[in-house]
This record gives sequence, C-alpha cells and structure tokens, in this order.
Amino acid sequence: MLYRLATPGVGDEVVEIRVLQWHGDVGAAFAAGELIVELETHKALIEVRAGQAGILRRIFAADGAWIQVGQSFAVFSDAPDEPVGDDPAAEAAFLANFVVD
Amino acid sequence: MSTEAPRMFFREAIARAIAEAMRADPRVIVLGQDVGSFGGAYREFDGLYAEFGAERVRDTPVAEAAIMGVGVGAAAAGWRPVVSITYMDFVMLALDPLVNYGAKLRYKTAGRLTAPVVVKTTAGARGQGVAHSQCLESWLMGVPGLKVVSPSNPADAYGLMRSALKADGPVVFVDHKRLYPIPGEGPDPDAETPIGKGRIARHGADLTIAAHSFMVHVSLQAAEILAGEGISIEVIDLRSLAPLDVDLIHASVSRTGALLTVEEGQVTCGVGVEVAARVRERGAAFAVARVGAIAAPVSSNPVLEAASIPNAETVARAARLLLGARDSGHSGAGGGELSAL
Amino acid sequence: MILIRAFEQALAALPNHGFQLLSAGEEAVAVGLCSALQPGDQLLTGGRSIGPALARGVEPRLLMAELLGRAAGVNRGKAGRGHLADPESGFFGAHAVVAGNISIAAGVALAMKLSRRPNLVCILFGDGAAGAGALHETLNIAALWKLPLLFVCGNNQFSVSTPRRAALAPHRLSDLAAPFRIPASTVDGMDVNVVAQAIELAARGVRAGGGPAFVECESERFAAHSTTARETRSREDLQHIRARCPILRLTADLQAAGRLDGASLKTLELEVEAEVAEAVAFAEAAPFPDPREALADVD
Repeated sequence: MLYRLATPGVGDEVVEIRVLQWHGDVGAAFAAGELIVELETHKALIEVRAGQAGILRRIFAADGAWIQVGQSFAVFSDAPDEPVGDDPAAEAAFLANFVVD
Repeated sequence: MSTEAPRMFFREAIARAIAEAMRADPRVIVLGQDVGSFGGAYREFDGLYAEFGAERVRDTPVAEAAIMGVGVGAAAAGWRPVVSITYMDFVMLALDPLVNYGAKLRYKTAGRLTAPVVVKTTAGARGQGVAHSQCLESWLMGVPGLKVVSPSNPADAYGLMRSALKADGPVVFVDHKRLYPIPGEGPDPDAETPIGKGRIARHGADLTIAAHSFMVHVSLQAAEILAGEGISIEVIDLRSLAPLDVDLIHASVSRTGALLTVEEGQVTCGVGVEVAARVRERGAAFAVARVGAIAAPVSSNPVLEAASIPNAETVARAARLLLGARDSGHSGAGGGELSAL
Repeated sequence: MILIRAFEQALAALPNHGFQLLSAGEEAVAVGLCSALQPGDQLLTGGRSIGPALARGVEPRLLMAELLGRAAGVNRGKAGRGHLADPESGFFGAHAVVAGNISIAAGVALAMKLSRRPNLVCILFGDGAAGAGALHETLNIAALWKLPLLFVCGNNQFSVSTPRRAALAPHRLSDLAAPFRIPASTVDGMDVNVVAQAIELAARGVRAGGGPAFVECESERFAAHSTTARETRSREDLQHIRARCPILRLTADLQAAGRLDGASLKTLELEVEAEVAEAVAFAEAAPFPDPREALADVD
C-alpha cells in the first residue's frame, strides 16, 4: 500500500511551509515515533514523526523547498519493493504526528 | 538581476537586513520587548542575540515611552538603534519622545543634532482585539521630520529596512501581522528599495488602486477577480507613505482616470485621502473613492473583524462602483468606506 | 551665579524678550551642578535652561542671540530657550516638554556606556516633572542597565501654581529613587558649595560604573514660574524667600572667611555687567533668520 504524506492545517493562517531538513533518504525505513522531517512555518518548527511504520519512497520537496498546507510532499510504502510512480497522490494518508515546537 | 534571491519568510528578510547592518556598523543596536533570545514576537530578530549578544540586542520592560526615549536619545548621541514596538497600537505610548523630540531634533538644533532611529512596529487586525489591531500609519505621515515606510513583501521589507538603517533621521517601519505567513522572493542584495519610491505591483489600464502593506495582497486578489470580468486594474504598492511617491501614482492615474485607495486603517484623515489630494493637486482629472476599515474599533470576534476590514470582494465591489460612477459622469463613488454589512 | 542673575535681568529688561523661564534663586543648583561636570559629560535640562546653559559654558552672546531669535544664536534662533542645544560645550540640550528629556538623557547615557567613554550624562529636571511616568520608567531602566546617568531634581517647591506637596506624595523627592536601589540624597539647593559637594560625591559613583545616582536640590524660585505667569505667593513670603539668595550667601561666606573683599566683588560685578552688555549688544545687532529657513533642516 502506498501512502501520501501531507501537512494538516496548522492554524495561525499558515499557507506555505518550508521543508527544513529530511531525516532519512529515499529508501529509509521509519518505525512509528521516528523523526521523518522537520518543517518550518513563519512562526514555528514542526517535527513530523511517523505514526506507523513505513518506507520512504519518494520525496517531492527537498530541503529548502516550499509546500502548501495539505499538499502531499512524500510517498511511503509498506514494503520496499512495491512499485511507486512519480505521482504524489496516493490512496491512503500516511499516519504521522506533527509536533509544533 | 541577481539570481541570489531565495524565497524566504517575511521575518527572515527583516532579520537579514538588521543582521547585515549590525555586522557592518557597531552602532546599530536593537531595543524592545522580547527581542533578545526570544528573537521577537514574530521571530523577526531571530539570530541577532546569538550573534551580537546582550549589549547590542536588549530586552526591555514594558515601558514604550521610556524605551522610545532611550532609542531616540542614543540616536541623538550618534548610535543607530532599532526600537521595536511590538504592536503599532502602543506607538501611542511612545509618541512624545518620537514626535516631540526625535522628529524635531534636527530642526530645533538647526542641524547640530539628529536622531537616526528606526522604529519597527507591526500593525493590523488578526484576532487580537480592539487595542491590538490598529493601523495608525496616517497619524504619523504628517509629522515633519518623520519618515514612514511600509513594505508588503520580503524583498521590500529587506530593502526598506536597509534604507531606514542608513537614513539620517527617524524612520517608522510599519509591517502587518498578516504579512508574516506570506513568503516571497528574497531580496536582491544589490538592489535598493529607496525611501520615497512606490512600485507597480500589477499593470493595468482601467483603474488604479493605491495600497500598502497587507492591502496590496488584498488588492491583487481583487484585481484577479476583476480580470475575470474583463476589467484591468493597475495596483500600486506605495511602499513609502512619507514621503509619498506622488509621481508614480499621478502617472498611473493620468493613464487610467480612476483612483481607488485601499487601506486597512480608517479612511478619515487616512492614507488614501492624502494620496488622492496630492494627485489632485497635480491637476489630474480622475474619479476617486477610498476603501478602508469601517468606522468602528476592530473586535477580536472573527465574524466582526472580517466584516470590519476590506477584503478582495469588497475592494472589487468598490472598483466596480467607482468605474460605474465615473462612466456615468460622476467624479466619485459615494462614501469612503464600503463594507460587507 | 552673578553672571546668570545679571544675564537674566538684562534679558527680562528687553522689550521683546519672549516667553522665558528664569532661574533667579536657583543659580546655586546650576552652578554647583556644573562645577562637578567634566569635559565630555553631557547635561540635559527641561525648559528652565538659561542658568544651566550659562553654568555649563554656553557663550553668553550666542545664548542671548538664540533667546532673541537671531540667526547668530546657538541654534540659528530656531530653538530658543525651550530647546537650545550646544553639545560641543557639553550642553546636549534643553527640551520644553516637562519630563520629556528624561528618557532621552538615558539614551545619551546608553550611548556613553556603549562607547566606553568615562563620562556621565546629567539630567536636570524640576519637581514638576517628578510625577511623570517618564521619570519612573527611566529610573528603572537606568538602574537595570547601570547607565551612567545622574538625575538631579531642582525642587523649587512649585510646578507653576501647584506647591510640591500638593502634587507629590513622597516625603522627599529623593525617595523616588529608592525602589530602584539608586543612591539618592536631598540637599540644600541654596548653598552652591553644598550642591557642588553632593553632585561631586554622586558623580564619583556614577563614573566608577556604579550606575545612576539621584540628587534632589531643594531651592526657591524668586519670581513667578515664567515671564507671563502670575505670582502665587504673597509679597511678605517673597521677601523671606529672596533673603535666602545663594549669591548673597556665598559672598557673605567668602567675605567672612576673608577670601573676598568689597573691591574684588565690585570688579567681578562690573566684569559681568560688561559681558552681559556685550552679549545684548551682539544679539540685538544680529539679524533674524531668513523666513525661508523655516523649511531648513526638517529632515
């Protein structure tokens, strides 16, 4: 199964978010609770931690890139060899915890 | 045009301009509430405390009058302070040292002293209530000896802060709460945003909108709506309120024949009426109307706040009304403020 | 002190002297204070600036020209008594807003401290300013940041018509400094030596980096608040008040100690008279500024 990673609404009129730093490359496996990526709003840092286990398969916004709230910016899969294209849309949402610092 | 212009948050442009100035000139200091390790209420002073320390980046108690006086006095004595007044509403507490001393110092001493202080303050409504929402730029525009600038985007925030830090008298730099979440093209380090020059944010032929700060974004949205109806709007970003770039506005209005001024503050004795009067004095014949807040305080209540200040729809409606009035031979379109109520 | 008295008398005698606040009775405060200031120190005052400006060393002829609105004045006639500024003489400036110069002085003191200069800034204000928030806010900041700022309160017992005790609750005005842990004293402002000693002592601590200090000088104002204000005191009261003249007191002390004889005093008075006359002549002969200067030095 493929999963898309997107930010939820984070209040404070945030529309655009900057990717600060990925904490794993494409192919990396994340267990629940592990830090995937740090994002930055105009006010705060957001730590994105995995809410489920998964393999990071596609990154659509590298360090320093800008994303919209709700925009899918990465794709995960359960198994490492599942076929995955270049479409950020995926049938399911990747469970993640967005901790605003 | 340099390629070195990464997209950045509004706050980063301000922090960058101040940091660069502080590196280049040891006399630049920052005073205000929460400017030190906290980095400013909007993180607009991020990194300064870490780099320059407590001597040059000074947290102050809540005492706007005294802190403004200290900043103005230090400027008079040869330093270049940035005085941060977190909410523009509280500039009121600091008006005596700024207006009665700072703005008049060069004049009253016949040039022997001057006060090159930058007052950085944030205006605008965003859910904070009647005493934390005001836009008071027009109160300061008419003070001889005081300059007032107001950027709408990160590149101009950088450019105007840079220019303000080089000015040899007091400059009030007014930004807006709602500008902080909006990223934009970073500054071209070689480009200047001089004080006194506006910018055409969108070219058009049918009507000129003159706006500043967050209302530039609202006006651009209104222009998009109207473009869909075949109406071509020219949007001018004033950038500098005192001095005003009358040449730019006049040239535009001479082409379009209609001027809609848009501000979030009150239209009574506001920015718009001053813009309109100055253009009129140049001899241009044009239709004019003003859009601003309704004549009421701005509550923190989200429904009331939204009804109190201009948005893209109300600006578009005002533009249509003005064009309708002009085309039927009137030189203005009824009252200055239009609201959704 | 004699110079100040004579200068102000000559000014007040001129037909177009303008709106003035005079220092008769308060000369000991101005002179005692300035005797403890060093080159490089800066003095800021409120609107009662003539005595302190002269005591600080502003040239009498340039000051008279300024007061009479001439372009040859200290600030081309644009400041007048309320705003005159001669920073090169160590007189950073007067400011006519009551208490308006206090936080400004703290800013000048901050600049002094950041420059690592061994000097201090002195702010002279009246009892009339002691109720203003600006004073209390500045006492706090000065103490917090250990600014080299010397607060001198010239308490002449009145704020226009309001007696000091009808306006201010503290027992002594120097008590205002106590909450901020600023060393403070109240002294007799009618004795120039007492003032000088008190200021010298306070200044020593400030110069040593100890942060601000506060000296209250209790004095008397011999005339009404200003050249247009009505006098509120009875003739009898004024007689008693004027008997406390700091000039008479010092001359009596010096004569009693054998350090001043009648002839020397006379010589001194004549010198002052001549200096004042020259200042008046210079000022009256000097032209007014061109009206177009109304637009000069705005920004």
